[in-house]
Amino acid sequence: MPRSLWTGSLSFGLVNVPVAMFSGVRDQDLHFRQLHAKDHTPLETHRYCAEEDTEVPYDEIANGYETDDGELVILTDAELAAAAPHRSRTIDIEAFVDLEDVDPTYFDHPYVLMPSGEADGIQRAYRLLVEVMSRMDEAALGRMVMRTKEYLVIIRAREERLVLTTLLRHDEVRPTDPIPSPTKKDKPVKKEVDAAVELIESFSCDWDPSRYEDSFQKRLRAIVKKKAKGQAIEVPEEEDDDRTSPVPDLMAALERSLEEAKAG
Amino acid sequence: MAPRSLWNGAIAFGLVSVPVKVYTATESKSVHFREVHAKDGSKIEHRRICPKEGKPVDKDEVVRGYQVSARKWVELEDEEIAAAAGSQSRLIDVDHFVPASEIDPVYFEKAYYLGAQDKGHDAYALLHAALGKADRAGVGRWVFHNRERTVIVRALDDVLALHTMRFADEVVDPSDFDLERVRRKPSEQEVKMASKLVEGLHADFDPSDYEDTYREEVLKVVELKAAGKNIELPEPEETEAADDLLAQLEASLSG
Repeated sequence: MPRSLWTGSLSFGLVNVPVAMFSGVRDQDLHFRQLHAKDHTPLETHRYCAEEDTEVPYDEIANGYETDDGELVILTDAELAAAAPHRSRTIDIEAFVDLEDVDPTYFDHPYVLMPSGEADGIQRAYRLLVEVMSRMDEAALGRMVMRTKEYLVIIRAREERLVLTTLLRHDEVRPTDPIPSPTKKDKPVKKEVDAAVELIESFSCDWDPSRYEDSFQKRLRAIVKKKAKGQAIEVPEEEDDDRTSPVPDLMAALERSLEEAKAG
Repeated sequence: MAPRSLWNGAIAFGLVSVPVKVYTATESKSVHFREVHAKDGSKIEHRRICPKEGKPVDKDEVVRGYQVSARKWVELEDEEIAAAAGSQSRLIDVDHFVPASEIDPVYFEKAYYLGAQDKGHDAYALLHAALGKADRAGVGRWVFHNRERTVIVRALDDVLALHTMRFADEVVDPSDFDLERVRRKPSEQEVKMASKLVEGLHADFDPSDYEDTYREEVLKVVELKAAGKNIELPEPEETEAADDLLAQLEASLSG
């Protein structure tokens, strides 16, 4: 069982469900360590006081906040926790929404929420939430504080469990209007749109994440293996693909693409 | 001020190429703290220490390694790691399309916007219009910062949005977590009452309804502390765990 990242309670009306939160992602990356070049001793990172030039134990470290006038205010973890004592321990469900209404730009990090405690009452309350949310196809919105940040979270039922995704705040998602986009005069004609839609439809399928593999990690593993055997690693050159320049005749390119698609 | 792009290249879609620039779509707005020595606020530095010698190590004496056995490390140069990116193509080859609404939120990693380059506005406008009309997102591969990622491209407002996606093996299956058995499942009456509560709380999603109040609360604590006042540490809250579910649901509905 992995370690929980947060424990607290999920509150729905007057019903409180003690929960433990686990990461919804598993790190599959190859990890490197910094080594001492001469003998490959793995290096460690230690915290030093710049003033005294001595090592500082973890419990002597506090959070420094610089105010607008440059004054440094020192806060301990306990004092910081005083800022939002309730939300550090509780996720209050504030609303229920349709998941489809949340633009994917807002999705941040996924977690799994499991009931914490074996009491029958806890387990039943958890199941009740799962049951109701999956039957009604609704997702719950709430706010919680983890470490030094407050998160807006969305909770939904999946495989008889509750899963949680932290959402970005509205001011953390940038507006799209400063992004250069075509003007009205570039509007495609119907014939072009129809041909492009036909092309899209002929290459459409369901979303199946299992068909994509992390070829970067796979190649990295191969490189490590090769290097371990003392072989040289070739560094590929940048490819010069002529397809990066715009096509002169859009309609002709679409028609040829469609022909190729049909020829399969 | 016009935003700065992070990458430029093109999306290839059939034989059509759409020259694009990539912009960041998100930014973090949390309150920033830095580590300080509690007693006097001095700066804390992270130093690389060789545990064998008990001494700090200079940057030029550091190499990057991967552990292949208990005592053996393989040294890798930055360029060798970069070689894993594969071909350093400036092309995002979109070769199939999926209904974006079918994708579970867990797969979305990071969002970017695609801006049109000076040339090829017609192709950009066409891809934007066709993705919107077909209600599909294009799936492709993108090499960014020496790393190849699976991405989807979709129409959003007047622009194209690009999302890097998590791989299936990175996503935890919720059913890997065991559920305890329950003696009695939630009753039909409990489900009915809970449904009423859910209905009563239904809202349209508007992210601006949920301000980050924590930031202000932290700043209040900062002000108090700066004024030399004592911060009262809160007593841990007593939350009553659900035992009489039905009674609590009734009370929630009447409240």
